[in-house]
Amino acid sequence: MQRRKAPFPHPRYLALGAFAVLGVLYVVAPLAVVVLNSFSSVAYNVFPPEGFSLRWYQNLFQQSDFYDAAVASVLLALAATTVAMIVGSMAAYSIVRYRRSWADIVKAALLSPIVLPHIVLGVAVFMFFIRIGMYGTYFSLVVTHVLVVLPFVIAVLTAALANYDWTLQEASMDLGAGPLRTFFKVTMPQISVSMTVSALFAFVTSFDQVETTLFLVRAGDNTLPIEMFLYLQKWQDPTIAALSSVLIAAAFMIVAVLSLLTRNKDLPATLLQQAKENKE
Amino acid sequence: MADMAELTATRDEARVRPLAEPWRRRMIPWLLLLPAFAVMLYSFVLPMLVFLQYSVFSFERGRLIEDFTFKTYVKFLTDPFYHTIILDTVKMAAITTICSAAIGYPLAYALWRVNSPRLKRWLAVIIFSPILVSVVVRSYGWTVLLSDQGPVNWFLQSMMGFSEPVKLVFNLTGVVISLTHVFLPFVVFPIFSTMTRLDPTLREASMDLGAGWWTTFRRVTFPQTLPGLLAGMQICFTLALGAFVTPSLLGGGRVLVLPLQVFTATTDINWPLAAVGGMTLLVLAMITVVLSNRLLRYSEV
Repeated sequence: MQRRKAPFPHPRYLALGAFAVLGVLYVVAPLAVVVLNSFSSVAYNVFPPEGFSLRWYQNLFQQSDFYDAAVASVLLALAATTVAMIVGSMAAYSIVRYRRSWADIVKAALLSPIVLPHIVLGVAVFMFFIRIGMYGTYFSLVVTHVLVVLPFVIAVLTAALANYDWTLQEASMDLGAGPLRTFFKVTMPQISVSMTVSALFAFVTSFDQVETTLFLVRAGDNTLPIEMFLYLQKWQDPTIAALSSVLIAAAFMIVAVLSLLTRNKDLPATLLQQAKENKE
Repeated sequence: MADMAELTATRDEARVRPLAEPWRRRMIPWLLLLPAFAVMLYSFVLPMLVFLQYSVFSFERGRLIEDFTFKTYVKFLTDPFYHTIILDTVKMAAITTICSAAIGYPLAYALWRVNSPRLKRWLAVIIFSPILVSVVVRSYGWTVLLSDQGPVNWFLQSMMGFSEPVKLVFNLTGVVISLTHVFLPFVVFPIFSTMTRLDPTLREASMDLGAGWWTTFRRVTFPQTLPGLLAGMQICFTLALGAFVTPSLLGGGRVLVLPLQVFTATTDINWPLAAVGGMTLLVLAMITVVLSNRLLRYSEV
């Protein structure tokens, strides 16, 4: 302890600090270069930049395809998140509240899709929906997105509910509140951080979903990541950089809002630990 | 004897009570689970059964033949072309996992040892927030960064004296660099969370007993964080096996891995081949999970 208060830090702390700086650089670099590239004045990638312009942003805002795709992505992600949160909290509640002998098996079964590579899931649902004639429907798309995010929601919410003080629920019921009122007024506020984190993660995962959506949308109804992915297969001009910068800015805003909301709270440290356990 | 009778009485009661509940009450847990099961059935269980079925169909002269045969499996597992794909997939995932662990462990250690709470918070935000940015965006960022005229090659040529651009993109190197970036948060998180649960007195005891910094780390800290490291590596390896966006954007068609093969076979309407490729991928992922869970159990003892 005293060693760290010395006027000059030990070389190994300097080495660790230097490594952390390099690590941060590595993490930030691809995002920074995208933002830098979006202000480029030329259509090809060159470093150092040759000039400054806003033409790629102008070009971006003239492309209605990207705008439509962004709206479609947000709506889809909202729908999938809402359904997954409702379905997931019901399942998590059932697993934790009624500790029956089957609880562990049911939980393991509900978490099992995590092991499945998304591309396999995408092809499998594509084949199945074509066979039953449900291919290209919005219903199929939303349910598939719900499935992708559901294991995470259930893992986080079961962990949160396991730490929840159930006597509060009993007190509420004894005082005459119904089960739904008890859930919304008593249980939910107690697990609000986990609810927020899992809803946010569900939204982002659904919004960024490429592998499953790729097989399920008809041409013309593309979501934003699909539109970007297909655009990048054809062109590499900085219009994509401008769009990416807008998305990075949106992610920054989410981080800012989240850190304000959770300023005084501990984030559930068990998030990925749970993801690990369910694979057993 | 009386105690004994009482005991059996209470035990009988305990056994009887759940049965005595009205059936509507007993149905509640199942009714709550019903929507989740419906979702699972509709877009997981039934699709996987159909997928399995397609893997035993065959595909000849551009037509699907609905029979029961292991022809496609045999072809897939004996053709050297597909051997290369399987090996490349495993190789890509393995290199990515090693790189992620090599960068992720010291980063998690730094995050753990930072004293100032503000610095710690910022470091955590920087390391974890890229999860919020689409993989498409991040892969695109790496294609810009690693291109022949990109910043990395500019640095190598003007500062390090390389005479011509190093090929970093549209090959395995680029894919691995980018995938490591994508999965890094998933490796740092479990390592960091095992570190925060360490008992600091063990480290102090080791130092007090005269062990140096390196010995303490090697004999005390590292063995205790091994479960976190293994968990992170398992997550990274399984995710890397199934990576699709990054290999297709940064591989430039030269890095052929199983997810790309599955995609190509599906668009070529050779569904049996796609299904067999997908089953291979699934089996690889399951082997990884089983093996690493076994390792995890050893490491926790």
